[in-house]
Formats: sequence, structure tokens, C-alpha cells
Amino acid sequence: MSFATKSPWVIHYDGSSCNGCDIEVLAALTPAYDVERFGIINTGNPKHADIFLVTGSVNERNIDVVKEIYDQMVEPKVVVACGTCACSGGVFHDCYNVIGGVDKAIPVDVYVPGCAVRPEAIIDAVVQGLAVLEEKSKVLQERKKEGK
Amino acid sequence: MELIGFLICFPLIVALLLFVINNNVARKIITIVGGIVIGVASCVLCVTYLGTSGVYFNISSEILDGIAITIDLAITAVVIGFGLKYKNVLALVLAAIQLVLTLVFAFGGVTEGVEVQQGLYVDSLSVLMTFIIGVIGSGICIYALGYMDDHHEHHTDIKDRRSFFFGIMFLFLSAMFLIVFANNMDWLFTAWEVTTLCSFLLIGYDQTEIAIANSFRQIIMNMVGGIAFAVALIYCAAFLGTLSLNQFIAIGQFYSGLVLVPLVCLSLAGMTKAAQMPFHSWLLGAMVAPTPTSALLHSSTMVKAGVFLLVKLAPLYAASFVASTMVILVGGVTFCLCSFLAISQTNAKRVLAYSTIANLGLIVACAGIGTAEAVWAACFLIMFHAAAKSLLFLCVGTAEHHIGSRDIEDMDLLFERMPKLARFMMLGIMVMFIAPFGMLIAKWGVLVSILYASLPNIIFLALLAFGSAATFMFWAKWLGKLSGIAGTQKDIEWACHPSEWFAQGIMVVLCVLGCVLMPLVSDAVVCPYLYSTFGTYGAAISSDNLWIAAICSVFIIVVLFGALNKGTKAKKVDIYLSGVSVDNAERMFRNSLTGSTEATARNWYMDNWFGESRLTMPGNVVSTAIIVLGFAMAILGMFGFVL
Amino acid sequence: MSTALITIIGIIAFAVLAPVLGCLLAGLDRIITAKMQGRVGPPLLQPYYDVRKLIEKDNVSVNSTEGVYITCALVFTIIAGGIFFSGGNFLLCVFVITLSALFFIMAAYSTRSPYAELGAHREIVQVMAYEPMVLFLCVGFYLATGSFNTSSVFYMNQPILFATWGFFIGLVFVLTIKLRKSPFDLSYSHHAHQELVKGITTEMSGKTLAKVEVMHWCENVLFLGWCGIFFVTGNWVSLIVAVLVCVVLYLFEIFIDNNFARVKWQVMLKSAWAVALVAGVINTLVLIML
Repeated sequence: MSFATKSPWVIHYDGSSCNGCDIEVLAALTPAYDVERFGIINTGNPKHADIFLVTGSVNERNIDVVKEIYDQMVEPKVVVACGTCACSGGVFHDCYNVIGGVDKAIPVDVYVPGCAVRPEAIIDAVVQGLAVLEEKSKVLQERKKEGK
Repeated sequence: MELIGFLICFPLIVALLLFVINNNVARKIITIVGGIVIGVASCVLCVTYLGTSGVYFNISSEILDGIAITIDLAITAVVIGFGLKYKNVLALVLAAIQLVLTLVFAFGGVTEGVEVQQGLYVDSLSVLMTFIIGVIGSGICIYALGYMDDHHEHHTDIKDRRSFFFGIMFLFLSAMFLIVFANNMDWLFTAWEVTTLCSFLLIGYDQTEIAIANSFRQIIMNMVGGIAFAVALIYCAAFLGTLSLNQFIAIGQFYSGLVLVPLVCLSLAGMTKAAQMPFHSWLLGAMVAPTPTSALLHSSTMVKAGVFLLVKLAPLYAASFVASTMVILVGGVTFCLCSFLAISQTNAKRVLAYSTIANLGLIVACAGIGTAEAVWAACFLIMFHAAAKSLLFLCVGTAEHHIGSRDIEDMDLLFERMPKLARFMMLGIMVMFIAPFGMLIAKWGVLVSILYASLPNIIFLALLAFGSAATFMFWAKWLGKLSGIAGTQKDIEWACHPSEWFAQGIMVVLCVLGCVLMPLVSDAVVCPYLYSTFGTYGAAISSDNLWIAAICSVFIIVVLFGALNKGTKAKKVDIYLSGVSVDNAERMFRNSLTGSTEATARNWYMDNWFGESRLTMPGNVVSTAIIVLGFAMAILGMFGFVL
Repeated sequence: MSTALITIIGIIAFAVLAPVLGCLLAGLDRIITAKMQGRVGPPLLQPYYDVRKLIEKDNVSVNSTEGVYITCALVFTIIAGGIFFSGGNFLLCVFVITLSALFFIMAAYSTRSPYAELGAHREIVQVMAYEPMVLFLCVGFYLATGSFNTSSVFYMNQPILFATWGFFIGLVFVLTIKLRKSPFDLSYSHHAHQELVKGITTEMSGKTLAKVEVMHWCENVLFLGWCGIFFVTGNWVSLIVAVLVCVVLYLFEIFIDNNFARVKWQVMLKSAWAVALVAGVINTLVLIML
């Protein structure tokens, strides 16, 4: 097993969320849920993070930001779309400025529906994300070996 | 003996040639040949007298004494001439006082029966100084060739008086050699005054209004020291019956009360020349001169003459509480406050100037402590400061001509724009302030030397601790600026003069060798001096620790010049700009109005904490008070009040 | 055995043991912090997992020099620790750890990233804030033992704390800066709620960041060693006392970390210098006068 799954560091980005999901993301850090039990830390820095939590939909204004943050994350990395808006655009999907879910900008690995998404669901999604991370990590390790 | 005569006279001949010949090609040849000959001769002298415990030469002649007096009078005449031309009353008054004192000394009968048999000497301290003057000093002269070409290209309004400039530079070296070899204090005084006059002329070289004002500031302050020196000479001749430096020190070690007045006078002379507070402003003013002048004044000549005299007198301070306290406290206050002041400066040359003054303060304080360990530290401070500071000045001078600014903030990205120069500068800065390089090891020696009970030492310890912290601040932020890398910058280094590279190369080699061979230098040069002066070997730091430091130095130098040049296997990625970068390499981001803004960071200068307007005045008041108090106690002591 | 050999053995031993110890300390720190906040917290070995993960990450860098500077910083931290724990010169240890701090700062500067540079500026001010106290500390050590060698405490009959209480108080104060604990974690914080979180390490990732973490562990062990040495004497029991004191101090630092908000640099600089001046000078005076 790779160590990537034992220390998933998170970066959280609020797209055009109503802040409902954001509060739930933060709730996951509180004593009631305490995700640090799994080694999860909210880093606030794409260069340090392994998991990209996006809340809210992607719009014309923030699509470049989402892409850039994703690009600046170091491999292996996983994207979790938190909440209905992040999955599909939700009730805002046909607003004039909304492009849609996060997958319109970057490849998404785990979709978590919910309005707002429950902390339990977020934790569950991150754990599912870890399996993807593990896969990607293995690929990277092999590539590294071949490189040498 | 012949070698000493050669070192004093040869630069004079070169100077004369340079004065007479006004042809750029001939000047270059003469300067390069002259510089190399002086450098080689200095090295030969160092090897010849390596480890010497002091050799004294019988040389005395009324003719030489007469020449010395004539030069003294000529100098005052020149100053009076300039004072009249530019209507500077203060300079005139001081020159007049000095003229009177010189006349009293020469014709007032005080020197009757006073004869110095041994006019010249060499000991290990002179060997160290010879090396600094001969190698670093002439290196700077060679550097000046390329620099002055650019200088006159950039400033067409300044009158081209290069033959005068180079002549004075070599005259300066000659006078410096005489200072470190003269046992006859009369000759020493003459050389002392020559260096004052030379720096006056060099600072005023550009003949702009500010250059003239600053050159007068220099001459006024140094004439105060000169007058103090003259008083000391008259006192020595009249009351002690000797003008031999050697005998003076010998008398003072046993009868400290007798020499107290001349000692405080000489201390004042040394402190003015070493630009201690409240006299430090002349060295800051000297920054208006072309950079080789600054390099020369700061590293191998002028200020080093001041500290040389004080270090020479160190055994007397050990025996005299009043003089010792005065010198330690002035040096300590200067070190601490000037280190603070350096934080607030953006102009690279002013940072260098404040750092020079601060380090001179440290050396002065070491001399004041007067123990073998303190003098050990002082010798290394002199040596590393000379090498590193001249390197830094030469680098700043070159950078200024190629990036058009001497502001530290403009040295952003120099790491790629001028790769070699930036690394030279980084080495110079590191040697100045961080272990395991020389200056800090010397500073460690200072710490060791003050660890015995005495109140001035405790005050100095506090000043040293806070001053050192400030030293870290102002060097580290400059170093950081230099190390910045972004995008692919155009290399603009190709346009530098070979003479500049040559001189900088010498300084780099000296810095590196100095750090690596420090244990050997300690054994071969510094300890013999300590033994001949104090009767102990007294190295402040054990050679085990010196070797550890040397190994670490080698490691860092290899990293700086080797590892940092190599690429890495790592994929290159953009920096983090909160996800809104427009042009990442240029640090442009999209602002809230969808326009582009460049993300720039400026260093901290903390002007309202450490600014000149806050600290200069208190520093001047405190140090003046200390000096006045010292003099008052010395004069009281003369009338029998022993304190 | 020659001093050089002992130093080299010390450096190797420190390079092996300090990361282990430091890692456990960091794990303990996170668990206790979590408990103080009513949480369970991560496993004890979480810091180890973090570093292993960082090493596994892809090898990327914003420039070619950052990694070199960080390697130097790590190497010099280990050398400093080796010198200290092998009974070497205290001052040399302080100088070498300052050198390590300088390389760390240069790494951040070299990126020319606004966040990293801001962190570097603050780091410089932090060094300036604690440096006087650290110099006083060395002086106090010398005055108490008559030598700069840390091994000299083994010849003492009583802990040097009795002579150097002032320096100890001052050290405990600047320890908060050195351990990068709130309220003085201006340049680089462990907690996500600060206004500049990872400051100086913003541009570091993967292996480089792993080196920073390991360096931080080693630093913590070294700085606690500085505190512990106040209690060590020729008697072996004193070593246990010293270790206990280190643990208590570390708990105390965690307590402070969790109960104080980050202050502005002005407050840090003023308070650290004031403490250094008062504690250092008074203790020096007392030592020399008595």
C-alpha cells in the first residue's frame, strides 16, 4: 500500500457555491467528525495537497482558477466534486454565467451529491478518492522507476 | 629592510609616473605592472617575515625627519588653500590649529634630544597589514582602470582627471605602507596625514557640489583626529622623551597613568579615522566618490589605518581602565547602532558603509579590551573585512554600471542577469555575516574575549548581541534579493571589463583561501604577533573548531559555485498565484477588475524603527559623551586625580 | 578519541535518532492538540506517513536552486545537532543552526513567489528576534561552566539552572519562536486558520517539503536539548530529569500554541528583545558580581 492513502492533504476551493457545502466541508474538520483521524489536513495550498475538494459550479469567471489550481497540484492527485452544484451545476445549471459541474473544467474522480452535502458523505467520498489515489500513486511509482 | 623601503618608495614612483603621463594606454600598463609588482613584493615580504616576532631596523636621519615635517606643513598648506578656495571656515580654523601644533612640534624645542634610533620595524601585524594593502589595495587600483572608463562614459559632465586619480591611489598605498612599518611616531603621523589628504582629494574627485561638501566633511573630522595625534606627539616628546612607538607602548604597559593623555588622544585619532560615531558621517559621505575610492577607503586603507593604530595600542588599553572603557563603549555603540541603521538603507553602498562602520566598531572595541584573545579576533576581523568588503564594493560598482542602479531592490534577479557577479556578491555577503565564514568566526572570538568580569564588557556584550541580530537581518534580506530566480533573464554580464573580473577574482580567491586556511593563518601570522606582544599564543578558538568551520566553508563554496549552476531532474512548474496568474513567469496576476497586476515584494526596511532620523542623533550624543568623559578623566588624571 | 571523530559520530547519531524522536514528538503534538480541541486526532506515526507520502509525490520544482538550498539547510541542521549532542561547542552549534535558517530563507526567496517571499521576510524578523537571546544563552552557559563545550555540564555538581535561571526563562520565551508555535508562527504555521498559513514553504512540494518536515523535527529535538542541558549534571539521574523537563516544556508549548492567537511582528520583536535584554543582562550581572 502506498503512503498516499495514509496522508491525504486537501485543498478546498469554493466555485460558485451558496456556502452551504463549504460549511459542511469545514464541519468535517470539527470534533464531531474529526477527519484528521485519517491524516486529512486542509492545506490551502495546491502544491501541498493531494485531494482537490471543489464546491459549487464552474462559471465563466472561475473556470481558469479551477484549472490552474488543478494544474499546480503535484501528481498523484484526486478531484472530489462536493455537492450537487459541483457535480452538475445543480439548480444553477442554466444560469447565463454557469458552465456546469466541475467536470467541465477538470477530470473529476469522485462525485458526491447532496444539497448541502453531508459531512459523512464527504468523508466517504474522500475515502473512495483514496482508492483512486492509490492507483495513481502506483502508476507514478512505476513511471519513476522506468525513468531511472 | 630593502623590501620595506621598496614597498614605501615604489608606489611613490608609480604615483609620480601616473601624475605625469596622461595617456590612457600608458596609464593602464603602468597601473597593471605597478599593481602586480606591489602585490608580489608584499607577498615576498610576508613570506620573508612569516611568523616573525618583530624586527626593528636602525634608521634615523635628520633629513628624513625634516622631510616628514615639510610634508606635514605642506599638507596643512594644501588644506588651507582648499579652505580659502571653497570658503570653508571650519576647515581653515582646524588647519590653522594643526599648523601651529606642527610648528610647535618642529621648532618649539620639544623634540630636542629625542631621537628614534629604530625608525622602521616589521612584526606579524605589519605582515598581515602589508598583505592586505599590497594585494587588495593594488587589486582595487587595477579594478579602477575599467571602472573609470565606464565612469567617464556615463558622466560626461565630469572633468577627466584620471592621471590625478590613479596617482593619488598609489600615493595612498605608499602612505599606508609607511603607517604599518613606521616605529618613529613622527613619520607615522606624516603618513597618517597623507592618507587624510589623499582621501580628501579622492572623495572630491567628481567636483560636484555634494562631492566637495562631503570631502570637506571628511577633512574636518579627520583633522580633529590629526590634531589629537599632534597633541599626543608633543606630549610624548615633551613628557616621555620618546617618539618611538615601541618604547611608548613599553612605557605605557608599566606606567599607564603616564601615557593616559597621549593614549586617549591617539584613541581619538584612531576613532576618527576608523569612522566611529560621532565621526561616522564622513565615511557615509565618501560614498559619492567613484566606487574604487570607496573600496579602497573601506577595505585596505584609511579606516584600516585607524584600527591598525588602535590594535597596535591594545596592550595599553589592557592596562588603562579609562581609555579602555572609552574605546570599548564607543566601538560597541557604533557597532550596535550602525548595524541597526544598515537595516533601514536601500542603497547598497550605504548598507556597505554602515556595515563597515559597524565592523570597525567591533575591531575598535576588541582593541579596547586589549587581551590576546581580543586582538586575535581583531586581526581576523581586519583581514576578512578587507577581503569581503572590497569584493562587495567592486561587485556593487560593476552591477551599478550594468543595471543602472545601486539600489538593493533593483538587484532583483541578478542571479540570472549577472550569474557570476551575483555569486561573487553572495560569497562576499556570506563571508561578512554567517558562520562558518571568517567574519563570524572572528566575532565568535570577540565573544570569547569578553567573557570575564568587567562592567564595560557586559554593556558591550549586550550591544554585540543586539547588533549581531540586526546584522543577520540586513545581510539576509540582501542575499535573498540576489538569489531570486524567475523566467529566463537575459545575461548582461558579457559587457564587464576584464580588469574588473581580474580584481574581483583576486578578492574571491582571498575570501575563499582566508576561510579555508584560517587555522593556518592563525598559527603562522596572528599567534606570533600575540606571542611577541602579550607573551601568550592566545588563539580565541581552538584549531579543531577552526577546521570544522573550514570544512563547512568548503562545502558551501562548492554548493554556491557548483551545485547551484546545475539543473535538476525536477519538472519545472509555475509558482502559486492564487490560481489567477496571467503571465506566471513575470508574476502577473489577474486583478479584481480583470486587468493585470504584477506581484512584487519589497524587502523590509523598518524605517520608523531603525531609520537615520531616529538613531543617528542618540548615537552621536552618547558616543560624544563617552569620548568627552574619557578625555575629562584623562586630563584630571594628569593633574593627579587618579580615578 | 579526537574531538573531530566524536563530532562525526555525533552527527551520524543525530542524523539517525533525531528524525525518529522528532517524528514521535510531532505525532504526540498532533494528538495532544486534537485532544485539547476535543478531537481524537491522527495516529502517532502520522507525521511519518506524511513525509513518506511527500517523498512518493512527483518530483517538481519552481526552479533549480530551491532544492539545493533546502538540502543545505537540512544538512546544517543535522551538523548543528551533532555538534551539540556530542558535547561540542555550543556557540558553533548556534552558528550552524543560524546558517541552516539562512538557507531556508534563501530557498523561499529564490522562488520569487509573493507568499513565499512574505514568509521569508517574516522568518528573517523571527531570526532577528530570537538571536540576541540565543547569544546570551551561550554566554550564560560559558559563565556557568567555564567552557562553551556542552560536555562540560557533566563535570558540574549541580544543574547550571541555578546559576542561569534568567537565560532559561529567556530561552523558554524564544523557544516558542524557534518551534514555530503560535503566537509567534508568523512565517510558517501548522494550523490552517492563520492569515498566511504555509508562508515560507508555499512553493515547496514533494521531496523538498519532506526535507523541510524532517529538518523541523531535528530542530525541535535540538532546541529541546538546549533546554534540557540546564538540568544535566554529572549524575545520570539528571539526564532523566532533563528529558522530563523537555517533555513538560513541549507540553507547555503545545498549550501556548493552542491558546494564543498569532501576534504582529512588532509585538514579537519588541517582546523577544525586551525579554532578552532584561533576562540576559540581569543574569549576566548576577553571575559576574557574585
